[in-house]
Amino acid sequence: MIEVVNLTKTFKKASAVDQVNLYVEPGEIVGLLGPNGAGKSTTIAMLSTLIAPTGGEVLFNRKSVVKQPSALRKVLGVVPQEIALYTELTARENLQFFGSIQKMPKQLLKKRIEIVLEQIGLENEPKKLVKHYSGGMKRRLNIGVALLHEPEYLIMDEPTVGIDPQSRNHILETVKKLNEQLNMAIIYTSHYMEEVEFLCNRIYIMDQGRVIASGTKEEIKAILSSENKVLLKLEKLSNQFLNELMKQPEISNIEGKESIVSFSVAKETNFLPMLLAICEKHKVLLKSFQVEEPTLEDVFLHLTGRTLRN
Amino acid sequence: MFLALIQKQMKILLRSPSEILILLLMPIVLILILSFALGSLMDGNSELDMIEMAVVEHGDEKVDFSSFIKENQNQFQLDAKSLGKMEESLPAGLLMKILTSKEMKEILQVTKIDDAELEKAKNSGEYSVILEIPEGFTLDYLNALIFHKKEPTLNVHFNENEQVTSSVIKDLLDLFQQQYTIHTLLGQNNLLTEDMDLASGEITSTIHSVDSTEKITASVYYTFSMTVMFILYVAGTIASQSFIEKSMNIFDRIVLARIHPIIYLLSILVSTIIIALLQVAILFAFANLVFKISFVQWELYLMLTVMLAIVVGGIAALLTAINYRFNSANASNLFSTTLVAIFAFFGGSYFNISSLSPVFSKVGMMTPNGAALDAYFSISQNGTIQEIVPNMTILFTMAVLLMLLAFVLFPKRGGTV
Ligand SMILES: Nc1ncnc2c1ncn2[C@@H]1O[C@H](COP(=O)(O)OP(=O)(O)O)[C@@H](O)[C@H]1O
Ligand SMILES: [Mg+2]
Repeated sequence: MIEVVNLTKTFKKASAVDQVNLYVEPGEIVGLLGPNGAGKSTTIAMLSTLIAPTGGEVLFNRKSVVKQPSALRKVLGVVPQEIALYTELTARENLQFFGSIQKMPKQLLKKRIEIVLEQIGLENEPKKLVKHYSGGMKRRLNIGVALLHEPEYLIMDEPTVGIDPQSRNHILETVKKLNEQLNMAIIYTSHYMEEVEFLCNRIYIMDQGRVIASGTKEEIKAILSSENKVLLKLEKLSNQFLNELMKQPEISNIEGKESIVSFSVAKETNFLPMLLAICEKHKVLLKSFQVEEPTLEDVFLHLTGRTLRN
Repeated sequence: MFLALIQKQMKILLRSPSEILILLLMPIVLILILSFALGSLMDGNSELDMIEMAVVEHGDEKVDFSSFIKENQNQFQLDAKSLGKMEESLPAGLLMKILTSKEMKEILQVTKIDDAELEKAKNSGEYSVILEIPEGFTLDYLNALIFHKKEPTLNVHFNENEQVTSSVIKDLLDLFQQQYTIHTLLGQNNLLTEDMDLASGEITSTIHSVDSTEKITASVYYTFSMTVMFILYVAGTIASQSFIEKSMNIFDRIVLARIHPIIYLLSILVSTIIIALLQVAILFAFANLVFKISFVQWELYLMLTVMLAIVVGGIAALLTAINYRFNSANASNLFSTTLVAIFAFFGGSYFNISSLSPVFSKVGMMTPNGAALDAYFSISQNGTIQEIVPNMTILFTMAVLLMLLAFVLFPKRGGTV
């Protein structure tokens, strides 16, 4: 088990990570969700022994790895947020290099390279330098390099940023397979709520250096269990209409964009008469409305008053 | 494992045509130009005449530039300021600026001629030098610089009956230096950044007369002087490459693979030494073929070259250590764009500086290239091993100091700093 306790990192004076506690057990997929600048990458860098914490501990099987990182490094695969590959080498040459520096025996490495290329869907990898690869292919190879030594724990930092939907789906499927078939524990960092919701059993939500919510998907959504989200489609949005809505005590988190308005409302409230009355009063034509279960995005909005992507 | 680190370094270098251009082609071209141009001058006859030069520009640089920008506008966004700066620093314009500068006016008469007049000009012998800028030169240049495509070529025709002064050559070197600066800024940062500070194209130039009592022939002089200058670029090049490993988080992966940072630093040292030795071997083989320079006391040459290569390895290690410590490529960039030129000046790579003042020659001996150059000359004049002991001592001391300093400065705890 990897565990961090009261993990803190301060750069100069700015605090990037503040008293974070989290753990990962063998075989589970844990999500780390938060907007840009939340401190996810910094947390992960400490977790993977790449930077030393200002305070707190990183424990692997209950032993500190801050001073003795070797044991953890051995079982860890890290997929950095940036493409960390030699662009002047081919895919195979990259894998060959990163395998060799881990002192993998020649025969084993040869086999592993074939397996990894298949896992990341590059088995028919073109014989060209990585610099000529598409963004999606680079991302996949970036993952492949971390898989060479069959890590028990795979740490992935926003592995789907900036690629096409097809490559993104491939990566998500790969992650799921690695976990299900090889029982690899995965720490998956993202600011895409859907990805984390799709992959992870347990989730930590970070904002401004702190973990603001954690637990299983269900537990986190239970934070909003007493609320529903309502989506209205109007013919035309008017400001008076919005203002009037905001005055209503039973609804919250009101957002209006173009012809769509959304708000949260307690589950047992019968808000329809009030809504229709306001529509009537401001001559707003209601085209449709929809009541939804809350998403992780809504939880984040509820806890911070901001959206994940800004 | 160590071998893999070295192999990787070599592969990457061999696949960077622009680096090969600087490390091999540039010194070869300069050795050729300088040897032929200064040959007669150094061998006695030192009278300076006004040089008549013709320039033919087959293409249009501005057109090349805008088509380059248009072709690649999705690849990088540049604001008007950067564009303006780049436009000012385009190679053909820069070259013309240098050739027609105030300093050059006294010795160089530049005439622009057009394509039709070229053959006549070549045959008439009216001009001492004809410079031909081929069509698409600037486009090739930009493509080579940024996308490592086909290298641009520049044709220079010399009239063999005339002499070209050393200051022309000095300015050619300056030109190279400037282009190198642009290359470094664009290439080594691996991308085009918003606030590119390109060299302004301002040229300073002084006219030096070459000591004509020098016994060494021009070809020998410039073979060794260019070699000891360009070997320094190996250090800058390797150090910038190794910084890319840090800035792209590749170094994190190396650390996670449980490679001790000092092992990594050692791999930088060793690969630099190997590459520097290969470079010198190629340059000397070239000199042997073209100028019939023979390396009679080959053991001494080998000993000296290995020692110089170790110093260069030490420089690469130190630059790498500083870059890593301060998390910026400033150290290696400053070295390649400025320090090498200063070392080359004091070390006597441009001309025999000791003829100006004995103080200069003392300073020159304190540069790695200067100490090595002096020793190469001794060996080439059948000097004994005793004569180069002081030089070897200086180089050895430098190597030890550089390596110690690099070792101390390199962040040793790997990722966990
Ligand atoms: N090396 C650094 N020096 C100074 N500040 C940093 C450094 N790395 C990260 N930060 C700051 O710490 C905060 C968290 O950054 P990061 O961990 O990258 O967030 P995330 O990965 O969630 O986007 C940001 O405000 C960022 O500017
Ligand atoms: Mg991040």
